[in-house]
Amino acid sequence: MKTPPDETQIVRFLDGQMEAAELADFEQQLHSDTKLRAEVEMMREISALVRTHVPRERAVPNADFFNSQILAEIGRDTKPVPREKPAATGWLDWLRMPWLAGAAAALALAGALWLQRDGGVSVGAESVVLSSYVPNPAIQARVYHSQEANATVLMLEGLDEIPAEKAIKGVAVHRTETDTEVATTTLFSESGEVLLVLAKDARNQPRLLVR
Amino acid sequence: MKTASIITSLVVALHAGVLPAQTPGLPPPAKAATDGKVWGALVYASAQKTEPFAKVALPKGLEDLHERLGKVFPGFPHFEIIGQHTQDIFREYESWVVPSRDLFLKVDSKGPAEGGGMNLHLQFWQDQQVLVKSDAVLRSQSPLFIGGPKWREGRLIFVLQLTNGGGK
Repeated sequence: MKTPPDETQIVRFLDGQMEAAELADFEQQLHSDTKLRAEVEMMREISALVRTHVPRERAVPNADFFNSQILAEIGRDTKPVPREKPAATGWLDWLRMPWLAGAAAALALAGALWLQRDGGVSVGAESVVLSSYVPNPAIQARVYHSQEANATVLMLEGLDEIPAEKAIKGVAVHRTETDTEVATTTLFSESGEVLLVLAKDARNQPRLLVR
Repeated sequence: MKTASIITSLVVALHAGVLPAQTPGLPPPAKAATDGKVWGALVYASAQKTEPFAKVALPKGLEDLHERLGKVFPGFPHFEIIGQHTQDIFREYESWVVPSRDLFLKVDSKGPAEGGGMNLHLQFWQDQQVLVKSDAVLRSQSPLFIGGPKWREGRLIFVLQLTNGGGK
């Protein structure tokens, strides 16, 4: 008794990986089994959608940042899990896992939505932190985008707390003036009062001077 | 000029002498080309009620800053703007956004960003220490919040918003 074809066989059929005898047998079943035909057609459509909307090679936006994050993640991974090398490398090999059929549809939809974004609907709306470097190893920087606030967040953790007795005083800078002769930037209030003068010291670090 | 003499005295005291000629990294000439404009503010987020927020004129598109901050920093119901600074971003020279002498930002333009906004190199300073250096694309509808150090019962937050400039 023949067992009905499973997803693996359907994928092999769509990938053109069947041997002649197997192919003939499969096509015979396909001819007589409407349910199987429908399943094959569905997977063929999913495959076409994925091919159309998700290019196999795509320029990654902000590639440097992604690469650095991936490398950092790899570095953190102290227990690598050995992965079995797949026997074949056909385009549809990933579909051999049955649960991925639903995911493929979602991926195709996401791909279509992504293309819509690129089409100008929402691209360019968000600020992006491409990379960050924290000179002090005790400090960690975490970057994310808050959709709710439509704001990009660069969260610094591990900073020393500023003593409560220290007064943090702000200024309302109305305009600035620069002086190339003495390499300074002067910050003025709305009334024209000099609030601060920023200059560089011998180590090229900023120094804020108050009158 | 009175202001100039004050500044000169301060700087001479700081440098005790010679400064290099104009180079990238030094402040720009008076009418330097600009790529855009940013608004920077130092905000104190706290659990305790502080001074009212409405005294400060918020830049266009950021009138709901309080609500936005509340979504990112939910543990703090109150936000007070300690200081603010609107600054041109110079094309060839560094710019400084200094809403407070304690926490401030150095901004270098890296030109207009594809899709709008500006490519910037940012350095966030606390006194004489640079806390973080970042490359970022800043876009006018989307501010950057930098979560800074804890202070008293709350936390200091630096807000940076592109108010003008950037390519399409």
